[in-house]
Amino acid sequence: MAEQKDILEEHIFSEYKYGFTSDIDTETAPPGLNEDIVRFISAKKNEPEWMLEYRLKAFRHWKTMEEPRHWPHLKYPEINFQNIIYYAAPKQKATLNSLDEVDPELLATFEKLGISLEEQKRLTGVQSNIAIDAVIDSVSVKTTFKEVLAEKGIIFCSFSEAVQEHPELVKKYMGSVVPYTDNFYSALNSAVFSDGSFCYIPKGVRCPMELSTYFRINTSGTGQFERTLIIADEHAYVSYLEGCTAPMRDENQLHAAVVEIVSHKNAEVKYSTVQNWYPGDKNGKGGVYNFVTKRGICLEENSKISWTQVETGSAITWKYPSVILKGDNSVGEFYSVAVTNNFQQADTGTKMTHIGKNTRSTIISKGISAGQSNNSYRGLVRINKGAKNARNFSQCDSLLMGSKCGAHTFPYIEIKDKSAVVEHEATTSKIGEDQIFYCNQRGIDTEKAIGLIVNGYCKEVFNQLPMEFAVEAQKLLAVSLEGSVG
Amino acid sequence: MTTVEKISASEKLVSDFEAVKKTLPENSFVQNIRQKAIEAFAKLGIPARKNEEYKYSNVQKLFQEDFTQSAIYNPQFTIDKYLIPNLDAHIIVLVNDFYSEELSSLENLDKTVVVSSLKKAFEKYPELVEKHFSKHADISSDAFIALNTAYAADGIFIKVPDNTVVEKPIHIINVISAKENTLFSPRNLFVIGKNAQLQIVETFASIDLTVNVISNSVTEIVVGENARVQYYRVQNENENSQHINTVSASQEKNSHFDTNTVTLSGGWVRNNLNIALNGENCETHLNGLFLANATNYVDNHTLVDHRMPHCESNQTYKGILDGKATGVFNGKIFVQRDAQKTNAYQSSKNILLSDDATINAKPQLEIYADDVKCSHGSSTGKIDEDALFYLQARGLGIESAKKLLLHAFVNDVMQTIRIEALREHLENLIHKKLD
Amino acid sequence: MNEMLSIKNLRAGIEGKEIIKGFNLEVKAGEVHAIMGPNGSGKSTLSNVLAGREDYIVSGGEVLFNRKNLLELSPEDRAREGLFLAFQYPVEIPGVSNINFLKTAINEIRAYKGLAPMEAKDFLKLVKEKQALVELQGSLANRSVNEGFSGGEKKRNEIFQMAMLEPTLAILDETDSGLDIDALRIVANGVNKLRSANRSFVVITHYQRLLDYIVPDFVHVLYDGKIVKSGTKELALELEEKGYDWIKKELVEA
Repeated sequence: MAEQKDILEEHIFSEYKYGFTSDIDTETAPPGLNEDIVRFISAKKNEPEWMLEYRLKAFRHWKTMEEPRHWPHLKYPEINFQNIIYYAAPKQKATLNSLDEVDPELLATFEKLGISLEEQKRLTGVQSNIAIDAVIDSVSVKTTFKEVLAEKGIIFCSFSEAVQEHPELVKKYMGSVVPYTDNFYSALNSAVFSDGSFCYIPKGVRCPMELSTYFRINTSGTGQFERTLIIADEHAYVSYLEGCTAPMRDENQLHAAVVEIVSHKNAEVKYSTVQNWYPGDKNGKGGVYNFVTKRGICLEENSKISWTQVETGSAITWKYPSVILKGDNSVGEFYSVAVTNNFQQADTGTKMTHIGKNTRSTIISKGISAGQSNNSYRGLVRINKGAKNARNFSQCDSLLMGSKCGAHTFPYIEIKDKSAVVEHEATTSKIGEDQIFYCNQRGIDTEKAIGLIVNGYCKEVFNQLPMEFAVEAQKLLAVSLEGSVG
Repeated sequence: MTTVEKISASEKLVSDFEAVKKTLPENSFVQNIRQKAIEAFAKLGIPARKNEEYKYSNVQKLFQEDFTQSAIYNPQFTIDKYLIPNLDAHIIVLVNDFYSEELSSLENLDKTVVVSSLKKAFEKYPELVEKHFSKHADISSDAFIALNTAYAADGIFIKVPDNTVVEKPIHIINVISAKENTLFSPRNLFVIGKNAQLQIVETFASIDLTVNVISNSVTEIVVGENARVQYYRVQNENENSQHINTVSASQEKNSHFDTNTVTLSGGWVRNNLNIALNGENCETHLNGLFLANATNYVDNHTLVDHRMPHCESNQTYKGILDGKATGVFNGKIFVQRDAQKTNAYQSSKNILLSDDATINAKPQLEIYADDVKCSHGSSTGKIDEDALFYLQARGLGIESAKKLLLHAFVNDVMQTIRIEALREHLENLIHKKLD
Repeated sequence: MNEMLSIKNLRAGIEGKEIIKGFNLEVKAGEVHAIMGPNGSGKSTLSNVLAGREDYIVSGGEVLFNRKNLLELSPEDRAREGLFLAFQYPVEIPGVSNINFLKTAINEIRAYKGLAPMEAKDFLKLVKEKQALVELQGSLANRSVNEGFSGGEKKRNEIFQMAMLEPTLAILDETDSGLDIDALRIVANGVNKLRSANRSFVVITHYQRLLDYIVPDFVHVLYDGKIVKSGTKELALELEEKGYDWIKKELVEA
């Protein structure tokens, strides 16, 4: 083993690939949070009164709340919420009619991120295409393919635009799954969110392409508080992708997003995330604090919501994408790969709340801990009284790489109906030396062998991702684990 | 509302201590610890449900009423009805926490084995007691350990010398009775020496209980190097009893420690079982079984702390819940950085028989060493309907078929009970309970 | 001479215990050597040491493989140089398909030799061709490495991998153990088809049975960490007949 370690140690932590800052003109609010800032954000966005009222209510409630510090398996210094900039927008012309009008620096940023909006635009109409809403420092800068989608009645736009153009939908659904009273960070988000994506799939429509949002924090000292709302009306289907990056910075940046999904009768929403916020350097300096509330509701019968996440970034991850299974026969799924290296900490998992009859949920969680990181799975499976014949299967595996990291499993199982069948399994292990040796003997070096074995370990989750994302996720995993011990 | 109650109940317990402590055994060592313990309790308070360890246990509700801390009441009874049929054992009886020499029978016990009231042990074996008392149950870790440590008036002290095999089990019978609402705080300490062997069976009984009592007990067990200890705890009491029990065991290298916690009845029961594996090559088995109905509350919390390499722990808990009962299993396996080559396994299986019953399970792994094999599983379901149908097709009535399947469900836990008379006794009790 | 493997006075062991105690062997290109021995004679240690398993410590002697010092090479470089070990207990790698595994291995070996990665088309053609060699089902190739394979399938998979990687020296470590006669025949046929003038085999086995199918040029008896007797295939038959006690007795008498 000694030799293997040497080989690995030669590969000192690889540079965070997305760590460039973009030189984009931005317009920012002064740091700190009070009612004036909330009003400033709302005014900047030219919001109607009801939206401002909602924000203010949320803000007032937030002030009465406590940061959730006692139960997550996370350690981090006090966050001074008055030191954060709550609004930073790239300066832009009033309206953009085509990509040509977008700041060229910004376009270059996206090129570096590996998504060329230009290219996307050219490939109109092809099935495998992805429509992208790009959100930089909380403001949606450009949504592609809008016209193509509009033909089918699909609304895919920035959240601010939805507030202006589709207030009835926003009013009806916003806060219906994650009320601002839900938790500290959802309250904060509800008060100060600046933008995000909005998506509505009308009855009977199968969205012909993947919808995607790329999030990026750019300005120093800013928090990003985006808000996403996805509604799939009866018999509708949509697959939604979310990617995140941030530049390397010494200080910790706060990201507190809210994602709400509503799935109506016979509708299905697939939500995939590849989260690669800056994780901090190899000594644990800097990195994004990722406190995210994601929840979907299967509102009526036969609806389905599926979360898939590949979490490799962030200094701290606090995230539990959940499904409320209200409709009879509804289905909730959660597939997760969470990788922590160096000094990263993750406390992530899901909540499946069974209310309707014959509801089913599946949880597959694969945690990988390396370096001096701590990786926790925390999940709740709740079967309410009257949720007849509810089923849950959970599998939570942890892989440890090196002897300085931690892998933890905190499942909560609450069952109030006798017809429920709930199974939970969890294992913790390390990569087998004999597996690595077997690969070596076939000519594969240790680093590659670890990559192979780890990707094999995560396969059940990667299989859930759309092809392009799966490839990206595998690469990301390899980069994240470079330099970790075998 | 609740915050007000919390403060008042906790504060009352703190202020009552000043008066009660004068009645407690005098000894500067113990006094010192008691003082620290009440301070620790004052800091912790009666836990609210927001405390992760008490998420499902509404302990604040238990303390809504006032309780006296000293029971002067001495009930009249004969011990015979509390004996286990056919169990050839040394008998120790505690009445309202106090060791009763006349009711106990230890005639054939090896003279080198020490059995004494804890109160006396403070005087007679200060060195040994001071070495272990309050060293294994940490007052800063839990409010009820702190509360017990402050208030404990008596309990039992057992010391098995090195290389001594106690052939027959020791059966400890705890009898309580009270005329007014009482908080009992029994405290036990068992020290088992190197290469020694001991089996303990602990049972509980209450006499004519019409008032509310809470028994907040703490037992510390020291399992010496290469020692073999089996500890059986049988809770089969009336519905008025409310128990918060903590057993904290420390194992030294090469030792084996097996526990069985069987809860067949009791109004409100919280069992905390903490095992620290302090030496290499230890083995520990934690088995548990609970049958609850009516509005019973049965909560089993286990913590296995793997501190050293090459140890193995194995947990199997099974619960059957009927009526409006609530069951909790909260198991934690903790593997510390040095505990390489750990093998730890945990399983919690439950059957709900009624739509009003609830089970909450929280099997946790907290792992800081990489070369380990740890796993847990939890499953909850109803009685296997295919099996039920199969038995019916073979002519069994639905009720007897159900009973048969429930017996089969608990059988693997029953089989870990190695004292035959005890196993038979429990099988009878379970049989009756399932009727 | 066309010497492929030359082992001189090898001493090696594990956890401080010496198991190989002065082992000598010369293998020329195209030869098949069988090494037989009772349990505990050092057969597995020998294969592990040659493949470069970390836990085994070499305390003396030298091993030349194609005139290179084998003992200085990492396990993967030994493989890339053309040494293949068919494992006695092939390990399972969940989630990694056989195909992906082999593609990675082949391309790593090619990269080592300065060759470009194999075209996907050529690779798949090769897979098809070699699978037939060991009568391996097409679906097996898409399953995870050895996961859920029967004992026989695992061993066939080892030979299939050998066919794919085209080593110059193959060490078969008790490949026959646990196989029924049909599986044994398939495995042996696969090996025989791979025999050639520039490929050598070291067949480590406990039983003579395998040597009915893979006929060796030489048979060596390993006992207490060294070769105590060498001969041709007749030696194996004699061993089968008289048992290992015969060798032990001879040694004591000598």
